[in-house]
Amino acid sequence: MTLVKEAPARPAKKRSAAPAAGRRGRRRENLVGYLFMSPWIAGFLVLTAGPMIASLYYAFTRYNLFTPPQWVGFDNFTTMFQDPRWQKSVEVTLKYVVVATPLKLLLALGVALLLAQKRRGQGLYRAAFYMPSLIGASVSVGFVWRALFSDDAIVDRTQKVFGMDVGGWIGNPDYVLYALVALSIWQFGAPMVIFLAGLKQVPQELYEAAEMDGAGPLRRFWNITLPMISPVLFFNVLLESIHAFQVFGSAYVVSNTQCGPADATLVYTCYLYQKGFKEAQMGFASAMAWTLVVAVALVTAVLFWSQKKWVHYEEAAK
Amino acid sequence: MGTSKNVERRTILKVAGASAATIGLGATTACGGDSGSGDGTVTLRYAWWGGEPRTIAMKKAIAVFEKKNPKIKIKPEFTDYAAFWEKFQTQASGGNPPDVFQNAVGFLRKYDKRGILLDLKAQADAGNLDLENFRNGVLANGQVDAKQLGVPVGANTMALVIDLKAFKKAGVEAKMGWTWDEYFDALQTIQDKLKIAGDTGYFGIMYLYDLYLRQNGKAFFTDSDLGFTEDDLTQWWTDGYKRVKSGLVADPKKIEQVYPKSGLSAGLAASEFTWDNFSIRYEGEGESDYGLAPIPTTDGKQTGQYLGSLMLSAFSGTKHPKEAAQFISFMVHDPEVGKIMGYDRGILSTTEQYDAFQPTDAQNKGVKAYEEEVAKAGVLGKITPHPSGADVIEAAFLRIGGEVSQGKTKPADAAKALFSEAKAAFAG
Repeated sequence: MTLVKEAPARPAKKRSAAPAAGRRGRRRENLVGYLFMSPWIAGFLVLTAGPMIASLYYAFTRYNLFTPPQWVGFDNFTTMFQDPRWQKSVEVTLKYVVVATPLKLLLALGVALLLAQKRRGQGLYRAAFYMPSLIGASVSVGFVWRALFSDDAIVDRTQKVFGMDVGGWIGNPDYVLYALVALSIWQFGAPMVIFLAGLKQVPQELYEAAEMDGAGPLRRFWNITLPMISPVLFFNVLLESIHAFQVFGSAYVVSNTQCGPADATLVYTCYLYQKGFKEAQMGFASAMAWTLVVAVALVTAVLFWSQKKWVHYEEAAK
Repeated sequence: MGTSKNVERRTILKVAGASAATIGLGATTACGGDSGSGDGTVTLRYAWWGGEPRTIAMKKAIAVFEKKNPKIKIKPEFTDYAAFWEKFQTQASGGNPPDVFQNAVGFLRKYDKRGILLDLKAQADAGNLDLENFRNGVLANGQVDAKQLGVPVGANTMALVIDLKAFKKAGVEAKMGWTWDEYFDALQTIQDKLKIAGDTGYFGIMYLYDLYLRQNGKAFFTDSDLGFTEDDLTQWWTDGYKRVKSGLVADPKKIEQVYPKSGLSAGLAASEFTWDNFSIRYEGEGESDYGLAPIPTTDGKQTGQYLGSLMLSAFSGTKHPKEAAQFISFMVHDPEVGKIMGYDRGILSTTEQYDAFQPTDAQNKGVKAYEEEVAKAGVLGKITPHPSGADVIEAAFLRIGGEVSQGKTKPADAAKALFSEAKAAFAG
């Protein structure tokens, strides 16, 4: 609006010489900024936005990579909802999200509470607990996990000491998903660091006051710590749920690229990958991808809606 | 102000240059280079799947070729089986598959339908490719609809690989023409005497089921469909699951966990149906001695066996069809290459290479003797053409068979699921 207003004033160049130079400078600055960003912008357009738009189109086509895509409307979606393997993948993924996310956050919060206290070698502990998050996504860890949870490996032997003979989790369709859950929990470092930052923000006076009122540690945690870090908790719940919905690498490696045995680790993205790259049904795979986007968006929306009930921001606390 | 303007201008130019360079770099990488060069040297991309020993041998063979054909350079690409086809599919859809690549019967129609495979007949007519001297008619394995889409490098048959020590200890003998009942009786004896399973899980192997169907006058595939009924498969899987429950067949949970080792070489069972050239691999993997035994039969005569083969194919869009054909011809005929490769991809398919390689170790000798025995028995039939989508169905068969063995799917439901997935695969 200001630009339009200033436009007629242009003939009086002398008067507005300085602001005009300023504007030019700003524009040039912006231009430099955009130029610096251009590799990223080009990358985003070519590698992210472009493929996303293309995949949205493919979701409504039958496309085997070789012959041109054929428009089929909502066929992929209807086939998908009726496909028993797709239903299985949804079931497996939900189970994973519902089990892995809370357990991981619980552990992250527990360890963060311990590490928030001042003690010697604190930095070392923090680094040690954070480490698995750094290497957790690698393929090699998947292999290590496979070795740990196989028949007659360390987990199995330990279980046998307690009289539980499972014969290894990896080959057992009833247990293998929990090996993946364990791998996810083990990588609790990232949410832990965020919890730590949140815990540091809680004013000490609150604890002192509560202590004077005779509140025990549990009560202090429940009535002070938890409400005070609820924004951080919300952030972690949101981020970890989204991550959990997208789990792929660990399932793919632990199951020898088969998402098995007996489809027990057929997480959503694993099935999507099989459909797209093994069976060359790119239309179906795209439909699956967009359904996941919508599902995650819905979950996010529900979480945002629910935060009004349990997340306390400082303004609200006042 | 003046200086700052200059600086800014320079900055802008530099940034613009850098961005252009980045984009330019991306473009160059994306396009790939032309494989020809000024001095007439041609570079061919050659891709195969397989383990480390194959790669070592293959590189030696390539060196021999390059020495004898200095104007052709070979750029090797290799991965394991599953990754190979995923990568190939992506490359091929982008119009950039390797010039020459390893191929198998399950993929011929699929990639022919998509226009990827070069009909090598024209190159043979032009004298760039020699299609003579193939043993036991295996050349036909690479033919689809009167086109020569692949040239066999080796031939092999399905066999029963057995743990020789275990069979001896249990006092059971595998003999030519034995029946399925006799085979399962043998497994029972092994279980009774040695307390181990007899088989690693026969009923999830598509190629074995194909043999069983052939013994009964059917086949796994027709030209464009499945060659059996849901009831046939339900029966096959029902029997299989029963044998898992009774312990004749190894616990699938344990088999799953020793992968990539086979259940046989891991000592979980005493026998396994697989391609005969795999027995060489087991010798290195396991602690026992392994030998080849005949496929059980229904009538005491027909095993349903045929010679399968790995082959070399070329990309229909290659810029150098002549050189690609020359390379394939060399790889399948040159005696020196035969000596280097041995029976890694099955019995060498041409007489030149077959005569040049004389196996010295027990395993390779065993494979040779087995193939000769099978050929002599006159049981070898013709390979069934695999329709487009066969690769997807093979994977589904293995997966669904696994679900049955784990008790997660009832055989009838499993058979139904396979038929439904097959329908989708044929349509794809």
